[in-house]
Amino acid sequence: MTVQHLSPKPMEFQDMMALSLDVSFFTSEFRLCDVIAEYLADIVAQSHEDPARYANFSSQLINEIVEVAFSSARAMSKVDFKLVKNGLCIRFSVGFLYEKDSSMPWATLCEPAAASPRHPVHDLIALAQAIEVDIHAEADADDRVLLVADFHAREAVH
Amino acid sequence: MSRFASSFSVEFNELNQEIVLSGRMRPRISEEMASVTDVVRRSLLESQNTVYVNLKRLTHLNMTAFRCLEDTLINACKAGPQRNIVIVTSSVIAWSAPLFKTLASGLPNLVVEIYDSAFYPGQTFVEDESFIPILRTQTKMTWRHEREILRRHGLRDGMAVADICCGIGDFATLVKRHFNPTRLLALDHSKKSLEYARQVAEDFGLKSIEYTYGDASQMLMADSQFDFVTCRHSLQIFDRPDVLLRELYRICKPGGRVYITNEKNSHCLGEPHSETIRWTYEQVAKLFSHFDMDVEMGPKSRRLLTDAGFDAIQVETFMVTNLDGDPRDFADVIEAWENVYAGQMAVRRGDPPEFIRRFRQGFKDHVLAALHPKGYAGWPIWAASGRKPY
Repeated sequence: MTVQHLSPKPMEFQDMMALSLDVSFFTSEFRLCDVIAEYLADIVAQSHEDPARYANFSSQLINEIVEVAFSSARAMSKVDFKLVKNGLCIRFSVGFLYEKDSSMPWATLCEPAAASPRHPVHDLIALAQAIEVDIHAEADADDRVLLVADFHAREAVH
Repeated sequence: MSRFASSFSVEFNELNQEIVLSGRMRPRISEEMASVTDVVRRSLLESQNTVYVNLKRLTHLNMTAFRCLEDTLINACKAGPQRNIVIVTSSVIAWSAPLFKTLASGLPNLVVEIYDSAFYPGQTFVEDESFIPILRTQTKMTWRHEREILRRHGLRDGMAVADICCGIGDFATLVKRHFNPTRLLALDHSKKSLEYARQVAEDFGLKSIEYTYGDASQMLMADSQFDFVTCRHSLQIFDRPDVLLRELYRICKPGGRVYITNEKNSHCLGEPHSETIRWTYEQVAKLFSHFDMDVEMGPKSRRLLTDAGFDAIQVETFMVTNLDGDPRDFADVIEAWENVYAGQMAVRRGDPPEFIRRFRQGFKDHVLAALHPKGYAGWPIWAASGRKPY
């Protein structure tokens, strides 16, 4: 699955923030999705010309990604939230182990699979396309998926 | 309103055929949206011809909620192909229009409109670009008083400060210079004013003022963020000052203070020609009232703050006069008032030429009073503040 909009040229990323939570804690209360999304969006927006509006804008997609992790992460594992930046964008990623018995093809994420309304990322892709934010996913053989969104600070709220 | 909860409302205004959704909609499951979709569905079905779905104050929406609204809107469009549904979004909420436009592409009787005006009735008058130099002069004149008044109302160095309805940002730059806040946010709904404000801040090398484009009656900031919140000369031009005060209260920290200034225009005064001046400013109050604005609000400040839940309320008045600095500054301000009030506003109200002539005369006499070597001209302002209880 890749939704491309103005992908940045490869540049070295610098760490901004990392947060690792037990899935059991993370999924104990749904409102944590909102709490985490707002917190991260405030950081994403801190250097923007209009931080309040950009935080609101970016929290829309960040929240959706966090909700995907909430509904898909495997119990007894960790979910990792990370923010990194380079000169072109701020990259938000969420990494988690997905349920092994899931019928959804996380490991081979491709557009036809994600296009299914039953796929956990279906709504996420629809939102990303609508508001023109780059997202992509990376999955490995250990059933771990990384959902990544790139926020281009000069876009979207003018 | 809690920052971290799904907290929303839905109302149907039958008279305007308008469904108003506001707040934060981030439910876990679609069943939590049942009450909303039920109101939306019934309201759509009851409406004829054109119905408006107002999302201007819907600040957060997850895709679970969006899909529920989508289903309801699609079903209504199909059930009544003759009925037009207009989704009204605000340019403040940057994700809203692009998301709802994905619906409009497949439904010929559904359109999405973006509003970046009409936040309050008198916006077109107040945000006239020609007003900018006068706003700067006004602030220069009031700052002589407010610099000390603000201290009496609790503003100290190193606080987190928000200036709501900041206009061209001149007050914020003065606060930045004189009080060195740890955080300073300045919000307004005029993109042109904010553009100007950012430029001024850059020219003066004032960094770290957060200028934000927003709707003061539904701000995007979280609860309890600021030690001191200012809102100057703005409650009086909103048709719902109570709604605005509720938001000022919300973003203020417990123990922090909200500071407001308002006028009582009919008490503007001058000598000589006190009678014509008095008559004209009484008419100013009536003119604003015609457009749902209350420029007599000053003395009502205590009641407004009390009703909004504040305690430890302080109220004081000060008079800007022609003796504060250069009298020409005051005369310029009065002439600008004349141009807007006796120009655009009186004409828009449909006032006859004879009335406008007499109306203008009071302003001219006020200018004369300001510039006369023995004259006196005054503009009274009420400064009030209240503490948000712990």
